[in-house]
Amino acid sequence: MPLRIAKTFWPAVLTLAAALGGASLAEAEETLTVATGGSENMVDYVTDYLGPMFEAQNPGWKVTTVGTGPGDAGSQAILEKLTAQKDRDVWDLDVIVTNQLKTGEMVESGLLQKYRDEIATGPLVTSVSAENALGTDVAGYVMPMFISQTAIAYNPDLVPEPPQTMAGLRDWAAAHKGAFGYNGIKNGMSGVAFATAWIYAFGGDAAVLMTGPYDKAQEAGWTAAFAELKAFNENVTFTPGNAGTLDMLNRGEIAMGPVWVDMFYSWQQDGRLNPNLKIFLPEPGMPGQPYYYAIPAKAAHAEAAKKFIALATSPEVQAEGIVKKFNWYPGIDATHLQGVLDEASWAKLFTDITPEDLAAKAKPFPLGAYFNDLLEDYETKVTN
Amino acid sequence: MFGRKASLLLITPALTMMAVLFLFPLASSLASAFWQDAEARWGMGNFWRAWQFYSADILFSLVIVVLATALVAVLAVAIAGYLTLGESRLFVALLGWLYRWPLFIPFVVAAQLMRTFLAKNGMMNTALVELGLLTPFTTQSFLDWRGIVITFVWKQTPFVALLLAGAMAALDRATIEAARNLGAKRLRLLLDVVVPQVMPSLASGLILSFVTMMSVLSVPMMINAENPTMLTVDMAWRINAYGDYGMANALGLIAYAMTGLVAWGYLRQGLKEKSA
Repeated sequence: MPLRIAKTFWPAVLTLAAALGGASLAEAEETLTVATGGSENMVDYVTDYLGPMFEAQNPGWKVTTVGTGPGDAGSQAILEKLTAQKDRDVWDLDVIVTNQLKTGEMVESGLLQKYRDEIATGPLVTSVSAENALGTDVAGYVMPMFISQTAIAYNPDLVPEPPQTMAGLRDWAAAHKGAFGYNGIKNGMSGVAFATAWIYAFGGDAAVLMTGPYDKAQEAGWTAAFAELKAFNENVTFTPGNAGTLDMLNRGEIAMGPVWVDMFYSWQQDGRLNPNLKIFLPEPGMPGQPYYYAIPAKAAHAEAAKKFIALATSPEVQAEGIVKKFNWYPGIDATHLQGVLDEASWAKLFTDITPEDLAAKAKPFPLGAYFNDLLEDYETKVTN
Repeated sequence: MFGRKASLLLITPALTMMAVLFLFPLASSLASAFWQDAEARWGMGNFWRAWQFYSADILFSLVIVVLATALVAVLAVAIAGYLTLGESRLFVALLGWLYRWPLFIPFVVAAQLMRTFLAKNGMMNTALVELGLLTPFTTQSFLDWRGIVITFVWKQTPFVALLLAGAMAALDRATIEAARNLGAKRLRLLLDVVVPQVMPSLASGLILSFVTMMSVLSVPMMINAENPTMLTVDMAWRINAYGDYGMANALGLIAYAMTGLVAWGYLRQGLKEKSA
């Protein structure tokens, strides 16, 4: 903790030192500034793991990390910072880690630069999400850091046989008032993912929402689905966030709820979560998302940023850091991890949810336009 | 001592600070509440959308804050009344020492305390279960609107009680003694003799509390994960998730109108009394 506080104030100290007489201290070390959206674990990933590794390989460089928080809000903060600097010659963020919706908006507003073809690990990426972010063409601008997935976590001591479909979940929650918990849409993406899964299940043709084209008429079925979600909300417990859902599951205050798979496994690994808890993917499926590494268009240290991202997306780091330490699915094609990752660590990712489950029931979030409508409708039709 | 010009010069720094740091941001946020970004024109669009999205939250905020203010009034009168009229010196001293504590605790800390205290398996319920008054299955979480009201009342009562106790201590004891000699019971004494005389202090304390509670973000955010929630949470959400300053400012203006209405009522009352 003291180290992190020191790191937060370090740039200010450097600026002050430079201002006070151009002390050579400021020139001796270059600082690579990484801004990351997402929950606390993503900040930890850069501060505790990736940053020190980059510093060790590149003497004279220092990595400073800024965490901007989970959900759209975290990535929106980065978007706003870049927008504010738009007219300046040099921007002070070198690497950003943002979600799909906001990264798409950044590409559209010309805030990012193309770099994927210039780094060695560029060709290792095969996933669709590296080309297309919720309907926006982002090819070349991004490298997926990881792919993450939401799922329903449950306590087998309280629910030995959880319902396997969204419709089953709805009925189960009505029969067990307060035992299902989620975080609405204002407190993190696991709740947003659940609301999305609800619309995929009950709101009409889900495939069009994911692949397009955008047509407001597709949303005709939403009114009824959201009315049902409003009724469903009467039967659930609201949790204070992604971590809040896990906390309440752990304390036995709720028996089921949507969580991020990586957070779930990491908490179990660290002994912060009841080891008996399990996860599953209900029919017809729940959304997942990548987080992207991107470089702002006028980043001060673009070359170092490319080096940093090449390191972060190398098979070794993806195996050791992304899969083994933080329980995410890799951002680069999994075939490149063979030989670098031991079988046990790989198998651990699929303890509760099999690769077949993932193939059938792991969905992307809807296209940006549908997604924005969905969030807006949730507020006007469900919570108000 | 100073000439007119010199005085003006002296207050210039303070005025500039006010203008730059308060008046300018206030004016620009007012303006942005009426600016419709999507259509690039002026209008009431943000207010209409705010109502569409958050009408339940607007009413919720009003109810919560009015309820909390009423409870604060009752408790503050009770505490200040006992401090003024209480006969046991020990209890008066003890209460006088105890009641101020929450004053020194920031809202965010109070919210965190209440989270551990009021949760389903929190301290309060655990204690009640240990005492045999509840079973683990009959406990319920108070982390909803009740939690917000409890935290607000806990935090604001000492503030109003402090103002009130001061005003009561400054009263002419002769009126109290006279009523006592005529046989008035203590409750009657408090409500008919003491409280009417300290009404201005009570009213200003309550209005300040009302405004404070209206503007607290941490308490509803930490305690009430449910919907509806308070306006501050919605404002933070509009800004953080969407960069939608227009609607956030419209919500702010609505909150401002609510507190303004209360303050206006109070001022009108004061003027009436003065002219009477």
